[in-house]
Amino acid sequence: MVDNKISSAPIKYDNTFAKEIYSLENGHYVKMCMQCGMCAVSCATRQIMDYSPRRLFNLIRAGKKEEFMRSNTMWMCTTCCMCKVRCPRGIPLVDVMHDLKALALKQGYVEYPQAAFYQAMWAEAFGRGRVFEGGIMARFYLKRGWNEIKKALGMKDLGMEMLKHGRMPIVPPRKIKGLKSLQQIIQRAQSLQEKEAK
Amino acid sequence: MRYSVYPGCSLEATALSYMKSLEPVAEALGMHLEEIPDWNCCGASVASGVVGDFAQQVMTARNLALAEEKGLDILVACSSCYMNMGLTNKRFKDDAHFAKLANEALAVGGLKYNGTLRVRQIVDALVNDIGLDKIKARVKRPLTGLKVAGYVGCQTVRALPWEYDDPERPVLLDQLVEALGATAVPFPMKARCCGSSHAIAQTEIVLDCSREILESARSNGASMMVTPCPMCQLNIDAYQGMINKTYNTNYAIPTLFITQLMAIAFDLPPEASALKYCIVSPYEALAPLGVGK
Repeated sequence: MVDNKISSAPIKYDNTFAKEIYSLENGHYVKMCMQCGMCAVSCATRQIMDYSPRRLFNLIRAGKKEEFMRSNTMWMCTTCCMCKVRCPRGIPLVDVMHDLKALALKQGYVEYPQAAFYQAMWAEAFGRGRVFEGGIMARFYLKRGWNEIKKALGMKDLGMEMLKHGRMPIVPPRKIKGLKSLQQIIQRAQSLQEKEAK
Repeated sequence: MRYSVYPGCSLEATALSYMKSLEPVAEALGMHLEEIPDWNCCGASVASGVVGDFAQQVMTARNLALAEEKGLDILVACSSCYMNMGLTNKRFKDDAHFAKLANEALAVGGLKYNGTLRVRQIVDALVNDIGLDKIKARVKRPLTGLKVAGYVGCQTVRALPWEYDDPERPVLLDQLVEALGATAVPFPMKARCCGSSHAIAQTEIVLDCSREILESARSNGASMMVTPCPMCQLNIDAYQGMINKTYNTNYAIPTLFITQLMAIAFDLPPEASALKYCIVSPYEALAPLGVGK
């Protein structure tokens, strides 16, 4: 028999997680979402996302941190900016996604290959001042291990074509002259941002 | 006209043909390009997902600060670079608090940016500074009969919507193509995403996105695609073979940078059109125009 008894106790939402998100650089924009779904219909990769951006924002409000952190949504974003251009509330969804990715990385949710790619590319940019594709790939495969390397071997035709047509330099570009200064600038920016968030 | 130019990392590597064609084409049009000294990576669309928008924009701002002394508009070829440079520049102008904080960080390296420059995408500068008439007048080998799909991509028109073109139905690239004497075919997917940098982490995303774009170009009768974006060019060109294998298709659509097509139309030496860097051979499509290896 169906239990028709409805509890009169008010439902309690735990908004700790929502507050954590709202404190991020672009996190407050999440509050503006009116759940219209324009982002979902505009998205280039919606069909492979666990949750559309609209639904992801709802998870934040509902306090479902684990589901949120384990979802692939932010990692599937290609930064094509269609949702950002179309959002009737003017939410810069792409920028919000940046924060969500950074949060996931910070808290160790790194199971998606994109997480390793982001870390690899950042290590290149920060360590050299310019990005070297060969370096990104080496770092990425080291992080992801044998399965990913096997997949890469399946793509060797493409690699050969790239080499043959002079599209894949084997030697990395020289580090920029002002590298040390650039790194100090970035570190200072990071500490300023942390202070701002408080 | 003088410009500062920000090449960006890909123009030194996977998109070498962009730089090799941009320089002579610009020269032919009287654009004088001066590279920003010791520029650094803008962070692409990745850095802010690791260190946040602010740190990434400060990193980008180092380039703006280095360029400011000359006071020239900054010409940007790559789409992600354009997005980052353009957005950061806009924030310096619009957000005084941001500008103050960012300058506090830049000061560690003895730099300061006052927000006085303009950041320009190449298509914007070509159409709005040089002008279609002057480009038309420079054409020595009209590309008559060549059917081209102008693939604009995402970020060049959507990073700063309406800065110089429609963010969803851009028209300037097609106008450029037509100014060269070619026919710009209708191309509904012209501003859709190619899958971007997922190529390394999850290749199937690029294969799926790029296949739809190729199909749209083919079904509209294009024999070639042109783009102003290094990422689009790489994905459509280099991954076309994998797309054919995966989906049992037989696309053979060469994809050139708009500047490469301009070099051909201007009848510049073969180094300027840099066609040897194309993975899908462009020579069949270009044969009626008398362009050979």
